[in-house]
Amino acid sequence: MSAPIDVLVVGAGPAGLAAAIRIRQQLAATGRDASVVVIDKAPRPGHHCLSGAAFEPACLDELVPGWRDDRRFMEHVIPVERDEMYFLFGSRAIQLPPLVVPRPMNHLGDVTISLSRLVAFLAGKAERAGVEIYSGYSARTLLVEDGRVVGVGLGEVGLDAHGGDKSNHRTAEEIRARVTILADGTHGVISTQLRDRFGAGRHPQVYSLGIKAVVQYADENAFGTNRVLHTLGYPNPASVFGGGFMYSMGEKTVAVGLILGLDWKYGDLTPQREFERYRAHPFIADLLRGSVTVATGAKTIPEGGYYSLGRLAVPGALVVGDGAGFVNMEKIKGIHYAIRSGMAAAETVAAGLAAPDGARVPLVGYADRLEARGVLPDLRRARNYRQSFRWGIYPGAPLSMVQRWIPARMGMEPDFEGTRRGARLDRPDPGGMDGATFVSLTGSLHREDEPAHMTVLDPEKCVGCEADYANSCTHFCPGQVYRWDGSKIVLSASNCLHCMTCAVKCPLENIRWLPPEGGEGPRFKQM
Amino acid sequence: MDYIVLVKQVPDVSNIPEDAWDREKGTLRRGLLDNVLNPLDLHALTFADRLSRGDPASRTVFLTMGPPAARDVLVDCLSRVPGEAVLLTDKAFAGADTGATAYSLACAIHRIERELFGGDRDYMIVAGMQSVDGDTAQVPPQIAEELGIDHIAYAKDLQLEPRMTIRRIASEGIEDVRPLRWPVLITVTACTDPLYRSFAQSRAARSAPIHEWNAKSVEADSTRTGLEGSWTQVYRLFSPSEDRPKTCEYVHNPVELIGKLAARYGSAAPGAALDAGEGYVLGDREPTYHGEFWVFAETEGDGVRSVSMELLGKSRRLADTLGEKVGAVLPCDAAGDRPAQLIAAGADTVYVLEHPLLASFDPLAHKKAIADLVRAHRPQVMLFGASPLGRELAPRVAYSCRSGLTADCTRLEIGDFDKGSVHLVGILKQTRPALGGNVMATIMTKDSPGQMATVRPGVFKVPDPDPDRTGEILFPPVELSTDDLGLESVLVESFASKVSIRDAEIIVAGGHGFRSRADFDTYLQPLAVGLGRLLGASTKVAASRMAVEDGFTTHDYQVGQTGQTVQPRLYVAIGISGAVQHITGMQGSEIVVAINKDPKARIFNYADYGIVGDIETIVPELIRATEGAA
Repeated sequence: MSAPIDVLVVGAGPAGLAAAIRIRQQLAATGRDASVVVIDKAPRPGHHCLSGAAFEPACLDELVPGWRDDRRFMEHVIPVERDEMYFLFGSRAIQLPPLVVPRPMNHLGDVTISLSRLVAFLAGKAERAGVEIYSGYSARTLLVEDGRVVGVGLGEVGLDAHGGDKSNHRTAEEIRARVTILADGTHGVISTQLRDRFGAGRHPQVYSLGIKAVVQYADENAFGTNRVLHTLGYPNPASVFGGGFMYSMGEKTVAVGLILGLDWKYGDLTPQREFERYRAHPFIADLLRGSVTVATGAKTIPEGGYYSLGRLAVPGALVVGDGAGFVNMEKIKGIHYAIRSGMAAAETVAAGLAAPDGARVPLVGYADRLEARGVLPDLRRARNYRQSFRWGIYPGAPLSMVQRWIPARMGMEPDFEGTRRGARLDRPDPGGMDGATFVSLTGSLHREDEPAHMTVLDPEKCVGCEADYANSCTHFCPGQVYRWDGSKIVLSASNCLHCMTCAVKCPLENIRWLPPEGGEGPRFKQM
Repeated sequence: MDYIVLVKQVPDVSNIPEDAWDREKGTLRRGLLDNVLNPLDLHALTFADRLSRGDPASRTVFLTMGPPAARDVLVDCLSRVPGEAVLLTDKAFAGADTGATAYSLACAIHRIERELFGGDRDYMIVAGMQSVDGDTAQVPPQIAEELGIDHIAYAKDLQLEPRMTIRRIASEGIEDVRPLRWPVLITVTACTDPLYRSFAQSRAARSAPIHEWNAKSVEADSTRTGLEGSWTQVYRLFSPSEDRPKTCEYVHNPVELIGKLAARYGSAAPGAALDAGEGYVLGDREPTYHGEFWVFAETEGDGVRSVSMELLGKSRRLADTLGEKVGAVLPCDAAGDRPAQLIAAGADTVYVLEHPLLASFDPLAHKKAIADLVRAHRPQVMLFGASPLGRELAPRVAYSCRSGLTADCTRLEIGDFDKGSVHLVGILKQTRPALGGNVMATIMTKDSPGQMATVRPGVFKVPDPDPDRTGEILFPPVELSTDDLGLESVLVESFASKVSIRDAEIIVAGGHGFRSRADFDTYLQPLAVGLGRLLGASTKVAASRMAVEDGFTTHDYQVGQTGQTVQPRLYVAIGISGAVQHITGMQGSEIVVAINKDPKARIFNYADYGIVGDIETIVPELIRATEGAA
C-alpha cells in the first residue's frame, strides 16, 4: 500500500502544475514533507493544453527561478517585437493605429509560446521538485463526504460499446486526499460538479471556441519572426464576438487561429469551416503562402470573468485556473492567471498543512492571496468587458472601452441560449483543409469499442432540432463527432478533441460530456 | 511456475506528427515521436497474467534492454501487473541487431534464473511476437536458440485445465500446443484486451524494485554485444515513396479500368520491376562470398508453398549474375514429387531432408536438420518465405549458424559496398520496410559465413515451370531422435475456411460514401467476387472507420490506424475520402484504385487509378466488366 495522499491536484495544466510545484517549494523551505499527486486525463502532460499563446512570463520568474537558462526550452519562447492589429473586410485589411488599440491588448514585452510545451516543461520541473504526476487517469466524480471534498472518483475502464465488461475491465478507483485542488481546465467536469454542489457565480459562465493550426514554411517565412498579429472582423459576422491571430513560434513556424464567441445565434455556424474561411482571406493567405499545416487543435475559453466565478474555496478543495474561470478578457489572457492562482492555492494549502489539526486541513485566505497576486483585481477591472459584446462587435467595441465605469453588472445568458431558432448563416464552403484532416492532425485517439463518452440525453429532441437549429452539434463540433443520418444523431466519439463546446452549446442542453478512458483524446505537442 | 515477460520501448508509430517527417530525405525524425510500450508486449503481459492466475506463489519479472529512459516501460508494466523488473542498460549494447540483442537478453535471463528464481528452471518467457519499430519477430526465437529451449510462436489463447495448452496460429491453421519441457518461450500475437494500469498500482510501481544490470553484471561476452556483435548492418534508409511514386491516372470507362487492372495485376509483381540487381556485372573481381544460393522449400500438402517457388525464381536470377548454383532444402517425411517441381522452378540441387520426425513442423527438429546441412555445405545465401513457419524457423537457423538475418524483405539485389576500409563485392542487399512501413531500410550482412533473409510472400513472381530442366537430388543423412522434439501439437482448425483481411491479395473497401448497409452489401461483395475470379486471387471486403461507425460492417474489417494495416496487391477504395487515419492502414498496397464522387478527395493522391463518379452507377458497371472480361 502506498503512502496516503496529502494533496491531490486534478489536472496537469499550468494552474495545476504551478500549484504542485509551489506546494513542494513551500514545504521544502520549511523543512516539511507531504505527498503531492497530480492526475491528468491526457496521455502525457501538455497533450490536452491549447492556447494562442501570447504570454506574460513574469510569473515564471517566481515559480521556476532560472527558467530562462534552459536553452532547449527557450528555443520555443519567442519575444514579441512587432505587435499589430488589423480589421479585416471581405477582401481587404486595415491596420488599426497603435494608439487606438486599448493598452491591455499591447503585447510588447510578452513572449509567444506553445502552452503544450510550457506544460511539458513545468511537468519536468514538478517531478524534480518531488511531485508525483500520473498521466492517463480521468477523474469523473467529485467525492464529497459530510460537506467536505475528500478526493475524486476515476471512471471504470474496459467496457465494450454497449457498456458491458470486457475481459480487462477494471472497476472505478477512488483517489482520496486531505486536500484537493481542482485544475481541470475550461468547463472542467469536476469543477463544474463543485459549482453545482457548492455554488456557482452570479452569472452563468460563457465561452469562446478557439480553432488553431500550427504551420511550417518550407522556405521563406512570409509572416516573419517575433511578430504577433490580431485581427477583428472577417470572417466573423458582426454579431459574433471574436477575432483571429497569427503568432511567430520560431524561425519557420507560425500559429494561426480564430476565436468565436459561443453565444452565436446561427445553428449552422461551423467553426472549422470559418477557420478555413479566415485562412483563405487574401491578407491572411498571403502571410501563409508556402506553409504547410503540421498540427491542429481546438479548445474553449471561459470568458465570463469576474461575475461568473463560482465558489473558489470549499472545505477540502480549492479551484484554480480555467477550471475556476480566471481569464481576463480585456487582455484575452489566462495562462499567467492560471499560474498565479495555482501559486495562491499552493500557499493556502501549505499554510493549512502546517496547522496542528492533521485530519482537516484548513484552507484560509485563498481569496486574499488571489487579490494580492492580482488575479481578482484584474478580473474585477474587466468585469463587464466580454458582456459589452453581447450585442455584437459594433456596439461592443466602444462599450468595452468604458465598461469598467459602467456601474451595473452586465449579464449574459448561457451560450446554449444564444442559438436562435431558425437563424442560419448559409455560407458557401470556403474549401481549404477538410474536417477529417483537421481532426487527424490533432492526433486524437480513442479506443473504438468503448461506450461513447458523450451522450445525447434524449434522442427524440434532436428530431425537431433539425428544423429549429439545423442540428447545430453537427456544425459547432470541430471534431466532427456529431452527424445527422436523417433520423438521429450518430456519434463518432473517437474524433473528440475534448474542447467542451458540445457541453455548453447544444441549444437543447441535450448533450452530456464525461471524460473517456484516461490517456485518450488529442495529443497536442505544440499547441 | 514463474514468468519472465520481455518488453520493449518503441516509438509510437500510431501517432506520427506531421513535422516528424523529414521531407527532403523522406524519412522520419525519430526524436519527435513519443516513446511507448510496444503494443504487442501489452498482450504478452496480459497473457502472462492469465497464465499465472490462480498461482499466488508465482513471480513475474519484466525484462527490457534499452537506454536508461526505457525504465518508463517497466514502470508502465508494473502499473498493470505487480512484480519485479530488470533494466538491462549499457553503452556496450548500443547498435545491436537482433542476434546481438537476443544474446544480451539471454545473458540477463540466465542471471534472473540464477538470482531471482534461485536456479529453478520451471519458468516461462513470454514476449510480444514483434515490435512495431523493428517488426522482425526475430529476437524471441533467437533468444530461445541461445538458451536452447523451445518456442511457441503466434500464441493467441490458452487453457489452464486440465493441462496447460497454448493455442497458436501455425502455417496450416490453428493448433493447440503443449510444451514438453521447461523453460519455454512463448510469443504472443494480438489476442486479448490488454490489461489497464490502475492508479493504485501505478503509485506502488514508483517504489517497486527495478534492477539495473549492465553487460558485465550479466557476464556478456563483449564481442557478441552491440554493434560489434551484430551480424547485420543498415546500409541505407529511404522513403517508401521513392519506391512507389503514385500519380493517379483518371479513367472514365469502367471497362477500360478493368482491362488496365487485369493487365497490370497479371504482368508485374511488385518486386519484378525493381530487379535492378539482376543486371549486376561482377567482371573479374573476387566476390566477398562464395557458394550456392539456397531456398528453404516449405511444404504444403503434397506440394511446395508458392512463396518458396517465388524465391527459387528470384534466386535463379540472382545466382546467375554471380555464376553460382541454386539449391533447395526440403525437410519432409517423404519427398514425393516435390524435388521435380523444385528443379523445374530453377533449382540445380535439391537437398531432401527425409525423416519421419520432420512430418510436421517442430522448430527444434527442423532447425537442427537444416543448420547441420548449412554448416556442411556453406551456401552464401539462404532465403526463407516469411510465412508463420518461416519467420519462426529462419531466426533459429541463422542464429545457430552465426549468420545475420534480415526479416520480411521486399527487395533483393546484388551489389557492392565501399566505405572507408570496407570493400564488399557481389553481396546481397536486402531491403525491407521498417517503423510500421514508414521508412525503407536496405541491410547487409556482416561478419557472417552466409547471408540470410526472409521474404514476404507475393513479392516475386512464381516462375513458369520448365519441365526440361535437370538437377541433382541428394538425400543427406538426417540425425534426429524424439529427444529433439520440444512440442506436442494438435491441429484444431484449418485455415482453408478462414482468411483475415490482412491475408487477402485483393481488398475492396467501402467508406462513408455508401448510403446504407444494404448498398454496402449490394455493391462491395459482388465486385470483390468478380475481381477475385478475374484475377485468380483471394479477396476480402473491408471498410473505413466511418463505414464501421455507420454500422455497415464490424471492426474486424476496418482498415486504418485504429483498424488493421493491410498490404494487398490490389486495393479498391470506394466512397472513401482518404483521411490520414485510413491512408496509414493501406498505403503499402501495391495497386490502389479510388472511386469517389468528389474529385478533390485525398484518396486520389494515393491511387494509381481513379474514377470520379457515383457508386450507384460506377460499381455495377465494374461488376459487369469483370464478368465480361472473364
